Amino acid sequence: MIEANGLTKVYGAKTAVAGVSFTVRAGQVTGFLGPNGAGKSTTMRMIMGLDRPTSGSVTVNGLPYVKHTAPLRQVGALLDAKAVHTSRSAYNHLLAMAATHGIPKTRVHEVIEMTGLDAVARKKAGGFSLGMGQRLGIAAALLGDPQTLILDEPVNGLDPEGVVWVRNLVRHLAGQGRTVFLSSHLMSEMAQTADHLIVIGRGRVIADAPIRDIITGKGQARVRVRTDQPDRLHQLLAGRGASIEAPERELLEVTGLDPRAIAAAALENQVMVYELTPLTASLEEAYMELTKDDVEYHSLPAAEVSK
Amino acid sequence: MSAMTTESTASPEPAPSAAGHSSGSHGRSLPGPTFIRVLNSEIIKFRSLLSTLILLAATAVVVVGFGALSAWGTGQFANAASRDPQAAVRAASQGGDLAISVPTSGIAFAQLILGSLGVLLMSSEFTTGMARSTFAAVPKRLPAFTAKLAVVMVVSFAVTAVSTWVAGLVAVPILDNYGLKLDLASSESVKLLLVNSIYVAAVAAIGMALGTLLRNSAGGIMSLVGIFFVAPIAFQLIPGDFFKEARKYLPGNTVEPLTAAQHVPDTLEAWQAALVLGAWVVIPLLVAAVLLKRRDV
Repeated sequence: MIEANGLTKVYGAKTAVAGVSFTVRAGQVTGFLGPNGAGKSTTMRMIMGLDRPTSGSVTVNGLPYVKHTAPLRQVGALLDAKAVHTSRSAYNHLLAMAATHGIPKTRVHEVIEMTGLDAVARKKAGGFSLGMGQRLGIAAALLGDPQTLILDEPVNGLDPEGVVWVRNLVRHLAGQGRTVFLSSHLMSEMAQTADHLIVIGRGRVIADAPIRDIITGKGQARVRVRTDQPDRLHQLLAGRGASIEAPERELLEVTGLDPRAIAAAALENQVMVYELTPLTASLEEAYMELTKDDVEYHSLPAAEVSK
Repeated sequence: MSAMTTESTASPEPAPSAAGHSSGSHGRSLPGPTFIRVLNSEIIKFRSLLSTLILLAATAVVVVGFGALSAWGTGQFANAASRDPQAAVRAASQGGDLAISVPTSGIAFAQLILGSLGVLLMSSEFTTGMARSTFAAVPKRLPAFTAKLAVVMVVSFAVTAVSTWVAGLVAVPILDNYGLKLDLASSESVKLLLVNSIYVAAVAAIGMALGTLLRNSAGGIMSLVGIFFVAPIAFQLIPGDFFKEARKYLPGNTVEPLTAAQHVPDTLEAWQAALVLGAWVVIPLLVAAVLLKRRDV
């Protein structure tokens, strides 16, 4: 289980992750969907204790990653297919990683076999194709036989057979009761792999819903709320399990509660609300909308390119 | 989707052993990264890079080669001195025993190669992205830093000591040809070998600190060259007492007072030199360790 609470990362003038809160549960595949540059990788690096959050916190199985006595046995991560010394062989890379936790050589051979790296295990990792690099990253993530797996864009660069393999692998691992958290910028990929989806854009969580709702078009709607006591209402709604953003003063965007529940909470506590608008776009639409505005790298329409 | 789920649960293929391992325990009592394990990991990383092994071999070749060359040159010089009274005076002014420093004549190159190795071992972690794997496995970070430092320093010391010893073995028969005696077992020979080997290990440690701070191979090596090769010359060329005084405190100028039989003018006392060299090692390493702990990987 992974729990992020108000996780924020600011690089100079750029806010990469702006106060995200979410829970990734065991026994299912949770997708982390967002356009390139939305803050997915930064969030995952913060989970792994590699980047220090500017504020907020994140725990894995109840403890910050850094506090675990055997971190690789708790969490396996593929953060970057190139997180390998280019001149070292895949086998020696895995052997060195395994040595830090006293993981036996037999396990190294097992993960090599599982990821289909037998033929290239003795070759320098620098010469690997992107797909081979992904397999090596997944092998490293599996080394400690962890309860929790974090995979950043695992299918990037894989051939179709590899894509299906990753899909089956993560479903199998989740079926064993493990926590699987994988990111992608492709909605279609997520639809085929994930049970639950957390959508992130511009560093904020914009949706957190079971995949069934999304496939059936019942994207978990957001509700726009205007109030003159935003801090109080924020607290109240957060206490009821909603995820909330505050894009402006007096404006909250609430996910996870319907307008009736929000109104009831406000009434009970005598907080004045002067707007309550369901934002009805389906998740797919919301995602496309977001991608349109938010992608870091725009491309020209085909017609203009060919001119 | 349901079809896929059934298929994958039915298939025994991915992660078969994973299931067996995890069913009983939750990894709480299983071994984590103790210092010994991290050290073992760093040793595996060290020996599995061809470039590292090449640098070590290059050091040995250079130190032994310079020892042989220097033995020959010293012999020629002594030969000339025995026939030429002027050269004899020059020889005497150099402290008399010419042969003693022959085995360590390649140290300047050893420190450059092994210092660069120190830089590279850490900077390459960051330039290749390996650092993410390393510090995900050892999230407390400092055990990995300390283990790598131990490997770098021990290997640098050992390679320098062994190469110097071999250089001595090669030099003895050459010097013998010219009637010069070199006793490798004399306390002075042993002292020269040990001090120079410790010095090279210190340079490698400074290199690793630079590699950690700059996270860049070229920048780290250039800084190292700046401190050990450019600064001594620049400080000599710049007029004024300040630079003349400051020059004594450069790390490269601490070896002479540490190895000389008597105090050499314009250098530090031996104990001062030891402290200065120690400070050159400890301060950059401390800064590097603190920043490594704090910065994002």
